[in-house]
Formats: sequence, C-alpha cells, structure tokens
Amino acid sequence: MTITVSPIFLFNAERSEPEAAELWDGITDQQLGDWEGEWLPELFKAVQKLHRAGVERRHWPQSRHWNWRKKTEALQGMLAHPGFSIVCNGMTQGMMIVDTTTKRCRIEEQKGKNLVYVEFVENAPWNRPELAQPPLYRGIGSILVRAAIALSQEEEFKGRIGLHSLPQANSFYANTCGMSDLGIDPDHQDLRYFEMTPEQAEAFIAKGNQP
Amino acid sequence: MKIEITKEWCLRMAEIEANAEIGAGLYALDPVFDGETMPANETNEEPSIAFGRFVRLMRRDRGLTLEKLAEDTDVEIAELVEIEDDTHHKPELRTVYQLANYFKVPRSNLLQVAGLTAPRDNRLIDEAVRFAARSESVAVLTPEERAALEAFVAVLSEEK
Amino acid sequence: MAAKKTMTLNLTDAEMRVLDELCEKKDLSKTAVLRQALRLYQLIENRVDKGDKLFFEDEKTKEKAEVMML
Repeated sequence: MTITVSPIFLFNAERSEPEAAELWDGITDQQLGDWEGEWLPELFKAVQKLHRAGVERRHWPQSRHWNWRKKTEALQGMLAHPGFSIVCNGMTQGMMIVDTTTKRCRIEEQKGKNLVYVEFVENAPWNRPELAQPPLYRGIGSILVRAAIALSQEEEFKGRIGLHSLPQANSFYANTCGMSDLGIDPDHQDLRYFEMTPEQAEAFIAKGNQP
Repeated sequence: MKIEITKEWCLRMAEIEANAEIGAGLYALDPVFDGETMPANETNEEPSIAFGRFVRLMRRDRGLTLEKLAEDTDVEIAELVEIEDDTHHKPELRTVYQLANYFKVPRSNLLQVAGLTAPRDNRLIDEAVRFAARSESVAVLTPEERAALEAFVAVLSEEK
Repeated sequence: MAAKKTMTLNLTDAEMRVLDELCEKKDLSKTAVLRQALRLYQLIENRVDKGDKLFFEDEKTKEKAEVMML
C-alpha cells in the first residue's frame, strides 16, 4: 500500500501549543498495531475505571466494540473503501474509513446523488473527553471531516458527505460541522444520520479560514 | 491523495472543535441502547447465574476452551471469564448478541436471562432459576446436567 | 492514491450513449462514472468470491431475484 502523507497540525492541549502531524490516505498495519497495542489497552482501562466508579453503562465510550483489524481486513484493497489516519508523535491519533460507491444522498435537494459516506471514524482514547482529562490532541475530527470533503470533491461529488453519528458526537456534527440532521435512523441502530451539502462543505472550510 | 490544509485552518478548527466527541459509525453501539434510550433494568441475581452457567455448559458441551469460544464469537476472553465465573458480572449487550447467534438461541430471550433487559417472560425467568439450581460441576456434562441443559435450551429456544 | 495514468477505451456507439446518459443523470464526468463502475465491480466480485449472493429485491412484493451466479 502506498500512502500519500499530507502535513497538518494538531493542537497539543497539554503543552498548549500546535504540533506538526500527518494525514495519511490509508490505514496500514501501523495503525492496526497502534490500535491493538495502545488504543485498546487505554480503552479497556477507561472502561474498567468507569465500571469501578459505578458509572451507568450508557455513559461508557460507545465505540469500544469496533474491531478495526477485522474491518480493515474485510475492506483491504477495495477501491470503494479508502481509509485515512492521523499520525502525530509517532502514534496513530485518529482513523476513518469511508464508502465512495454504495451510498446515496438523502437530503431532498440532493436526493439520490453520490456522496462520500463515513463508515467509521474514531479518535484515540487519550484524545477523548470522556476518557481523558484533559484530552491530549485537538482538531482530529475537523481534519478528518475535511479529508472526507476533499475526497468527495475529488470524486466530483462536490463535497457531499454523510455519516451516522454516535450520540455523544451529535453536537460536533450538527454545530461545528454544520451538517443537516436527518434524524434518528432506525435502520442503523438508532444513530442519528447527518449529511452535508456542497454549500455546507464550503461553509465548514470557510469556518477554519476565518481569522 | 494529497490534501492541502493550512496550519491556520487546523489550529482554528482545533479551537472550535475543542474537546468534542467525534465518533461515528454503524458498528459502534450496542444494538439496543445508544445512550438516548435505555431499557428499564432490574438486576436479578438468579438469571445472571443461569446466563453464566448456560454459557459455560454450552461451551463445554462443544469441547471448547474459553479462548476458542472467545475467538469464534469475537468476544473478549476477559469478558467470557467474568461471565462464567462472576455471577455479579453484567455482560455487554454485544457479547450477549454474539453468544445468542453462536449458540443459536433467540437474542431477546438470552438478553432477559442475562439481566440486560427487563424480564418479559416469567416462565423463562423461572426456568432460568431452575436451571441455575440444577447445574453445578466443572467436569464433563453428567447425564443430569445434559438433561437440564437440554430442557432449558428448549425453553430458551421458544420464540414468542 | 498517487499519480493517475491515462487509458484509451474502445466503446461501441451504444456503450458511449449509455455512458453519456449516466454522466448526465449523475452529473459526473465519464471518468468519474467509470471509476464508480470499477469500484462497484470490485466490491461485488469480492463478495461473490467469498460466497455471498447478490440480490435485487422487488420493492412491492419483497421477492428476491439473484443477480449474479457464480
């Protein structure tokens, strides 16, 4: 697998300063190794902590059931499912897999048109507010959304993207990303479906360019 | 593909994004509850024993180690250990789903037995208690254990 | 996803017409349409190779008709 690396920056909240990072256009064995060797143990520890603190299950991190290795192995080499990862300080900080082929838009004004659908996206446990106080790196979500938009534009889908948000991320996609909320989807485990129009994509990009 | 993103953009968005949760994707959640709706949950001691016992006997009946079962069902082995040994352990929803599929029993019934959903079928719960009482050792299934297991599986397999 | 290579295709008039119609319908260039077709093809072949079946479902009757036979 040949990876193209794009330079990016994350905000290191611990040191209160920017840190150079990389956006990779793929998910490699390095990511899987980081997921198994670092993400999972952290996730496990955090879940254990919550369990011991008597926190109700519904407040637990919601993506701990994903098995990235299985998912990526199933999608390995499929043109329709490119992946992206963010690497900083030699460690995978975020991962995303998208679908460029089998999904279509639901928003009335663009119904039936092609879009880049985000199959899954996840932040490393130490970057997540419910697991780390304070979270280490900021900006991963935005960069990955930007990547999905860029891919959508490259595919001639004009920046249209879609995804099913985990409940605790609803606010990010609705407000920060400015996506349209199409409501709870009973066919997708009652996750909320969000979709972005070309205009919203432009607005999202413009947001980061405002001084 | 190369994606051009300026440093300023990254940092501005990092500021706006702050400490937001960003996870998305179908496989993230336990199927029944998602943080927005939560089933009424009464912890019942006996059904949990029945669940752990059920898993253990079904596993042993198939000659599987915990490791193999964990592998076959894509469940963490630590979780299986807790399920079988710790009667106070509340299993994860996905785990119960995986086990129900693997052992070919209706998910909704096994969820009740596992204490994850409110008991809807009193007969099922009674049978679970009875099963828990009847089944005990760690050796090869005795004829009695086998009979008890078969009887319970029959009840468990009834679809309403 | 590095550099792209150019290729010449030989299509019949009928095929070109279909390609044009798809481009029109989907508001995509010919290249984009064909890339989509390739992706779909690979995806389907992958699943069929694994032993999965591809079906069409009639919306009204819910009847399934198999699309591809191995």
